[in-house]
Amino acid sequence: MNSQVDVERAQDLERRLCAYEELERRAHWPGALTAADVVALALLVLVMIAGAYYLGGHP
Amino acid sequence: MSASREQEFRLGAERGDTPLLPSERVWGFWGFAYANSALAVATWVFLIGGATALFVGPLQGIAAIIIGNTIGVVLAASSTCLPCGKYGVEQFTFLRSMFGLNGSRLVYFLSVVVLTMGWLAVLGLMCGRALDNLQTLVHQAQPSGDGWLVTGGALLAIVLAALVAMRGPDMIRRLSAVIAPSLILIMLALMYFISRRYSLDQLLAMPPLQPPFENPHVNFMVAVEINIAAGFSWWPYIGNLSRLCSNQRTAFWPNLVGIFGAASLGESVSLFAATTLGSSDPTAWMRLAGGMGFGIIALSFLALANLTGMVNILYTAVIGLRQLAGERLRSMGWGVLITLFCIIPVVIVVLLPGIYDGFFIFLVWTSALNSALAGIGIADYFFLRKQRLNLRQLYAEPSVSPLRYCKGFNPIALVALVAGFAIYVVVFNPQTLAHTDFFTFATASLPSCLLAGLVHYGLTRLLAARLGWGGYPKRNERNIEAVGLRVQD
Repeated sequence: MNSQVDVERAQDLERRLCAYEELERRAHWPGALTAADVVALALLVLVMIAGAYYLGGHP
Repeated sequence: MSASREQEFRLGAERGDTPLLPSERVWGFWGFAYANSALAVATWVFLIGGATALFVGPLQGIAAIIIGNTIGVVLAASSTCLPCGKYGVEQFTFLRSMFGLNGSRLVYFLSVVVLTMGWLAVLGLMCGRALDNLQTLVHQAQPSGDGWLVTGGALLAIVLAALVAMRGPDMIRRLSAVIAPSLILIMLALMYFISRRYSLDQLLAMPPLQPPFENPHVNFMVAVEINIAAGFSWWPYIGNLSRLCSNQRTAFWPNLVGIFGAASLGESVSLFAATTLGSSDPTAWMRLAGGMGFGIIALSFLALANLTGMVNILYTAVIGLRQLAGERLRSMGWGVLITLFCIIPVVIVVLLPGIYDGFFIFLVWTSALNSALAGIGIADYFFLRKQRLNLRQLYAEPSVSPLRYCKGFNPIALVALVAGFAIYVVVFNPQTLAHTDFFTFATASLPSCLLAGLVHYGLTRLLAARLGWGGYPKRNERNIEAVGLRVQD
């Protein structure tokens, strides 16, 4: 951690970590998966699996 | 800081050295969906569709493809894309939070290096088979199976893939750009030739090629397991793609369009081709489907597509290996590293050419590992860390980070990994297809994923806080405190 480039690299990492810590402090993380996404995903998975099994899964 | 230095650090972030900021990410929903689809529509979809046809006919096969890929892709994406898409961290850097620094290296070796070596051998042999079929098509003779031309072609493909990978990413990008559209054209042509001979009802009523069990439900469940394995096989790769997406939702949903949708379509076409042409070997379909003209073009493209796939996975695996390995590997020449990496695939091609025809066995073995890894990832990120990572711990010097665990390994996660792997093999042995009754309704991947997650969760709750491992939040601790942010306020 002596050369100028190492110092600058550490500063760059610090800047990135601070940016995410700033996001973490907010009440809402932009673009995060919401409860609606989770419900939609659960329904989609259920429909796909049950539907596929019903239409072709049983011999 | 100079502009050139900033550019250098940004490039470093793209390659995984540091977290990518949301403003630096390049893919929106459709961008990621396209990249995903291009990756999914490769020659492996032919192999997976062909393997499914061994066990079930087209109607059951399509159901198995949909069920298996849904389960595999959703679990693999949940455990990798959601954390990596949120924080922009490289996937194996993220894995330090649950496996430790050296543990994540071990996981990289098991899930990427071993997998890539196996795939290099399989795709190389497919190249060899394509050349063999091409030669027999031109000379109107019978293909030789695993004759000298297949072995020679496979070895040549590995050497060519190594030479192209040594040239770097530009050549790879140029080759990759033409392959996915060409393969889609081949699939459309295959469907055209098949639909000229058979009606949809006839197609759906076709029998499986070589069902190993008398009970059709067991054959169906094996087909589902193969397709779960296909979905899970993206686990080592999709985290690093998703970190290039603009946000967490964009990092997740396109997987259902690309990896699930495109791969399922490709596998379904392959399933039809395999059942109507009577072989699970894609190189045989190209020879039999549409006469000499189509055969020569399709087999040539197939060989080229395999080569491109091989170069892609070889390049990616060696780049990752250099990132994770110590100074000794990093100081080694790029060409030397690639050559050394190709030795084991060459040995597999020469000594175990049967890996190509028993391809699904290799694929299902990888699922025994990937399903357990997904279970541990879900338990750790969602239930133990409550979707909050302390990035400072991930990038801190190992000696001062709680992620140092025990000499860089988290024994708890490793025990969970072994438990998940073991239950998989007990429930369903990929080598012999021996299975318990439990497998016929629960699959093997789901119990493996669940058990690995439960063991990781239970042992972490029981031991990690006492041992000071992992920096996990306590049960009642507020998340914002747990990640250490208040300390700096």
